[in-house]
Amino acid sequence: MKALPVVVAVLIVVTIVRLRLRRRARGGGHPAPLTARRAWLGDRRLLGDTGLVASREIRERLRGRMFRVVTVILFVVVAAAVVVPTIHSGSAKATRVGVVAGSAALDAELRTVATSVGLRVTLVHESDAPAARAAVGAGRLDLVVDGSGKLIVPDPIAATDTSARARYVRAVSSTLGAERAFAEAGLSPSQAATVARARPLPVESVHPGKKVRTTGEATALLGVILIFIVLTQYLTWTLMGVMEEKASRVVEVLLATVRPVQLLAGKVVGIGTVALVQAVSLVVFALVLARLVGSSLVQGGAPVVVAATLAWMVLGYAFYSWVYAAAGSLAERQDQVQSLALPLSAPLIFGYIVSLTGVSTGNASLLVKVLAYLPPTAPFAMPTLVGFGDVAWWQFVVSVAVSLACTVVLARVAARVYRTAVLRTGGRVRLRELVPARGR
Amino acid sequence: MADLQLDGLSRRFGAVTALDDLTFSVPSGHVVGFLGPNGAGKTTTMRAIFGLTDLDAGSVRWRGSPVGPAERRRFGYMPEERGLYPNMLVADQVEYLGRLHGMDGASAAAATRQWLERLEVADRADSKVESLSHGNQQRVQLAAALVHDPEVLVLDEPLAGLDPTGVDAIGEVLVEQAGTGRCVLFSSHQLDLVEDLCESVAIIDHGRLVVSGSVDELATSGPRRLTVRVEGDRLGTWARALPGVSLAEVDGGEVRLVLDEFTDSDTVLDAARAAGHVTQFVFERRRLSEVFREAVGR
Repeated sequence: MKALPVVVAVLIVVTIVRLRLRRRARGGGHPAPLTARRAWLGDRRLLGDTGLVASREIRERLRGRMFRVVTVILFVVVAAAVVVPTIHSGSAKATRVGVVAGSAALDAELRTVATSVGLRVTLVHESDAPAARAAVGAGRLDLVVDGSGKLIVPDPIAATDTSARARYVRAVSSTLGAERAFAEAGLSPSQAATVARARPLPVESVHPGKKVRTTGEATALLGVILIFIVLTQYLTWTLMGVMEEKASRVVEVLLATVRPVQLLAGKVVGIGTVALVQAVSLVVFALVLARLVGSSLVQGGAPVVVAATLAWMVLGYAFYSWVYAAAGSLAERQDQVQSLALPLSAPLIFGYIVSLTGVSTGNASLLVKVLAYLPPTAPFAMPTLVGFGDVAWWQFVVSVAVSLACTVVLARVAARVYRTAVLRTGGRVRLRELVPARGR
Repeated sequence: MADLQLDGLSRRFGAVTALDDLTFSVPSGHVVGFLGPNGAGKTTTMRAIFGLTDLDAGSVRWRGSPVGPAERRRFGYMPEERGLYPNMLVADQVEYLGRLHGMDGASAAAATRQWLERLEVADRADSKVESLSHGNQQRVQLAAALVHDPEVLVLDEPLAGLDPTGVDAIGEVLVEQAGTGRCVLFSSHQLDLVEDLCESVAIIDHGRLVVSGSVDELATSGPRRLTVRVEGDRLGTWARALPGVSLAEVDGGEVRLVLDEFTDSDTVLDAARAAGHVTQFVFERRRLSEVFREAVGR
C-alpha cells in the first residue's frame, strides 16, 4: 500500500525531468542549431536503410503524446495489478503476533515460519493469555501464540483461505504441534530435528487429475493481458503508419530511394522495438514492485512465465505486424483502416479470450493446448500453458519454430502485397492484382 | 550529351495507354519543361524514372547506363501531391530524406540548414509540416529534393498554387541548379513561366511525344509572323494583295501578317512604306502556349 504513492511519485518525477531535459536541449523553446539537435540519427547506419527507417519510427513514436499517455496508463495499471491483490491478501501490512509464555527459541521459530510463507510479522509479548485474547478481540493483535499450547485468531480460518496469514497460522500450528509431540515422545533435539525434516513421499496417479494452482498462473494472467494490450496498440500503429505514408504520398519520395521491403521492414522493426522496450520496462517495473510489496508474482515458476510472456510478445508482434502492414498498404482513408482492422483482429481476440478464460478458471483446456501451436493464437495460449506448468520445453520450442516459419512465409507475402498496393491510389486493390505482382 | 535518356517508354493500365513509346532526353545544364494536357502521362513518366511504376517496354538511362537504385540515390524527386510526413518536424524530415539518399548525419544536417535558409523557411525548422502554408510546404518539399545535391532533379508541378514570390524563389533555384550542370526536368501548366525558365521543352499527349526542342527554336519555327502599323491604313488594305502574305488579324491599327517561306520581308516593308508612314514593323515570336495548342490540337 505504501509503495503505490512512491511509484506514482517516481513516475511523475521521471516524466518532468525528461520533459525539462528535452526543453533544455531545445534551448528553452528557441530553435537550437540544427547540427546540435540532429544527433538522433547517429553516424552509423545500422542495418542500412532499414535501420534509418526504423530509427525514424522509434524517434517519432517515442516523441508522440499518445505514446506517453498510454505508457503512463500502463504503468499505473501494472502497479495496481501488482499491489492491489497484495493489499487484499493482507500481506502488505505486518501481522501483529502476540506471544504468551514464549521464549527466544519460540520467537525464532515464529519468524522462520513467517519468512517461509512470505509474511511480515511483528512479535508482541503478552503477560498472560486473557490479556492477549482481549487484544485479539479488540483488533490490536492478529494472532496469539500461547506457549502453553494454543493459537488464538479473531475469526475462524476457512480451509479454502490461501492468504499468507492463513498459511502462517496453519504452518505455526503444525510446527508447534509437531514439536510438542516430539517432546512428549522423549526425542533428543537431534532426533527431533531429523523427524522435523521429514518430507512426504511422492504420489503418482495413473490418470492425470486436476492440477493444483501454481503461482505462475497469476503471472500468466497478467502476461496474457499485457500481450493483448501491447499487440493491439502497436499493430494498430503499424497499420496506421503505413496507411498515413500512402495517404500523404510521402511513400513515393521514400520509394524513390529505398526498396519497398526495406521501408516495410524498417517500420516493423522500429515499431516493434518501441513495443519491446515498453513491455520490458513494464515487466521489470512489475517484478521490482512485486518484490518490494511481497507479491507472489515473483515466486515459484513466475520468472519462467515472465520470460515466456516477453518471448511470445515478440513472436506475436513479428507474426502479425507483416499482416497489419500489408493491410495498411491497401487503405487510403481512416474508414478503410477500420474495416480492414476488424477481420485481422478476430484471431487475436479469439486467442486472447480463450487463453484468458483458461487461466482464470485454472483449467488448461484441450482448445488452449491446440491453440498453443497455431501462430495466430500461440502468443496467448503458450504463455498460458507455461503458467500452468503444463508444457515441456520441446513443446515450447516446436511452437516457436512453427510460429517463426509461418512468420517468414507471411513476411514474404506481405512484402509482395505491400510493394504492389502501396503505390496504387484511387481505388481498392483487388486480390487478383496482388498475386502476379511484379516490381522492383 | 543527353545525360538522362527516356527511351521508348510504354505503359498500359488496363485499357488505358499511359505511355506510348515515349522518347526524349534531358541534357545536363538544361531546365527542360515537361508539358502536356491533364492525363497525358507526365506523372507516369516521372514515376517511371524513379521506378515507381513498372514499364511494359522501354528504359530510362543515365549517361548511357540503365537507371537502378544506385543511380536514383543521386536523383531528386518532388511529386505532384506533396510527399511529406504531416506530423514530422521540417528539419528532421529534410535531414532524414538526405540520409536515405546516402548522406552521413553531419552532412545531411548542414545541407538541411543551408537549403532551409536558402528557401527562406529556416525559421520553421522546428515546426510540423502540417502547420506550414501551402507555399512553405512546397519550399520544404523542394529542399527535400535538393538536400543531397542531386545530379538530376525531377519535379512534378513544383510551381502549382504558388504566389509570385514563391514562383520566383523556386524558379531561381531551378535555373541555378541547371547552371551548375544538373539535369532539371519539371512539369507545369503555367506555360508563360515555363517559357521564362526553360531552355527546352518536351510536349506529350496520350503518352506520346508530340513536340520537343529548344524554346527559341519553337518560338521561331513555322511561318514567320509580322506585326505592322501603317499610319493612314488601319485596316491593312495595303497587305491584302501581297503575294505569299496572308492577313491573320487586324487589331487597333496593328496588322498581323503570316509570311510563307518564299516571301522576302523587304518586299512587305516596301509595300507598307508605299502605303504610308510605317510606325511599327516587328517579327513576332510564337508564344509557347500557341506551340502547345498546336501540338495537342486543343
